[in-house]
Amino acid sequence: MVFKLFGNARSRPTLRVAHILKEMQVPFEFVAIDVQGNEHKTAEYLKKQPFGQIPYIDDDGFVLFETRAICKYIATKWRGQGPALFPDPSDLKATALFDQALSIEYSNFDNAAVNIAVEKVYKPKYLNKPTDEALVAEQVSKLEAKLEGYEAILSKQKYLAGEYVTLADLYHITFGFYIVEEGGLMLFTDEAKYPNMARWWKDITSRPAWLAVKGGL
Amino acid sequence: MTLKVYGVLQATFTQRVLVVLKEKNVSYEFITVDWAGKTHKAPSYLLNHPFGQFPYIDDDGFILYESIAIMKYIALKYRDQGAPLLPDPGDLKATALMEQACSVEASNFNPFTTPIVIEKYGKPIRGVEPDEEVVKECVLGLDSKLDGYELILAKQRYLAGDSITIADLAHLPTGTIISRVGVTLLEDFTKRPNVTRWWREIYTRPSWQEVVASADAKI
Ligand SMILES: N[C@@H](CCC(=O)N[C@@H](CS)C(=O)NCC(=O)O)C(=O)O
Ligand SMILES: N[C@@H](CCC(=O)N[C@@H](CS)C(=O)NCC(=O)O)C(=O)O
Repeated sequence: MVFKLFGNARSRPTLRVAHILKEMQVPFEFVAIDVQGNEHKTAEYLKKQPFGQIPYIDDDGFVLFETRAICKYIATKWRGQGPALFPDPSDLKATALFDQALSIEYSNFDNAAVNIAVEKVYKPKYLNKPTDEALVAEQVSKLEAKLEGYEAILSKQKYLAGEYVTLADLYHITFGFYIVEEGGLMLFTDEAKYPNMARWWKDITSRPAWLAVKGGL
Repeated sequence: MTLKVYGVLQATFTQRVLVVLKEKNVSYEFITVDWAGKTHKAPSYLLNHPFGQFPYIDDDGFILYESIAIMKYIALKYRDQGAPLLPDPGDLKATALMEQACSVEASNFNPFTTPIVIEKYGKPIRGVEPDEEVVKECVLGLDSKLDGYELILAKQRYLAGDSITIADLAHLPTGTIISRVGVTLLEDFTKRPNVTRWWREIYTRPSWQEVVASADAKI
């Protein structure tokens, strides 16, 4: 049975999964969830995703949610078919450094990036609500405080987990691209301030698989 | 060389690492980070942890930070000691479910519990008034997310299936502190019997009781 992705064509987390499916050249069927009609809060839906969020996947009866777990599953199952997006699992230390990079994204980047995206893009564009600029400023400075750490890492190595691109790098695109492209923020594209981060950012956002999905499904 | 843990005995992310070391019966040397003196912001510290946080470990020269990555590293390295805490790495689906469970903690638990810990536990230690608005919002948020936990735990014993994993253990430090400061959502058996059954089960593990005892002894 064909791999099914349940989500929303414009939702960032849904695009994250679509991106990795493209990277690994996995054919899939996209099934739109009626978010406006609150389909993701129905008892039926909660059987698949108990927290009432999108997306989730169904791979021949195997149901999985949480985008990072889904992407890792895809990159593992179809490892031979696309780029190796994480180190050889038998290499304990390389694997640990990859897990460290995954946590870096989740701990230092995701929360602020999501908050900025909601304020700068989602509210004005889709909800017809004004941006709370004070909140944006607070989240931007929270994020900026972390960028020194990124710059330090990326001045020593090409990617967050070492010399090869991994899922940990690609997860930053999901909201990072959104706030840079549509929210008009400089952040890690600032070559004068963060030359290594800017180099890294250009590299990961020019991947053909991302270019293929960035506009939506 | 003995594995070195740099952290603070009472700090929640340090405790995640300690509970896995105890589960695995791994001996280690503990080095207290002088957080009041801000050692973790010194340039020499940032060489080991570029974000200036604790914990991190030094395993015979191998430096690793981020608590979940450390938990996993120790669990993999000492796979055959103590409870496995991770599925067989060759089992694709079981591994995916364990990673799902780790994300569940990071998305639906920690974002609510950590601010409560900061407000009601961290701030009073430093003599600062907690922001009760933040606490209220986080309690409400956690309360609604625990409905998702109840659905999961009604079907299986632990978050990733029928065996305990690092995903369950990751809940212990902040879960324990919020209960102590009066947020008793995890203990309400009539409201969410399966969450409470699960919480009691992980909370009473001897490994965790040892971590709690050493944190309390040092205060
Ligand atoms: N940590 C989750 C986040 C997913 C998420 O935030 N989904 C949003 C849509 S973009 C959602 O479903 N929100 C509805 C809600 O939380 O009630 C993942 O990575 O899968
Ligand atoms: N995501 C990190 C979080 C670590 C963390 O927040 N540690 C706190 C102490 S419990 C800290 O070092 N805070 C100081 C700071 O962030 O400046 C992990 O899981 O290791």
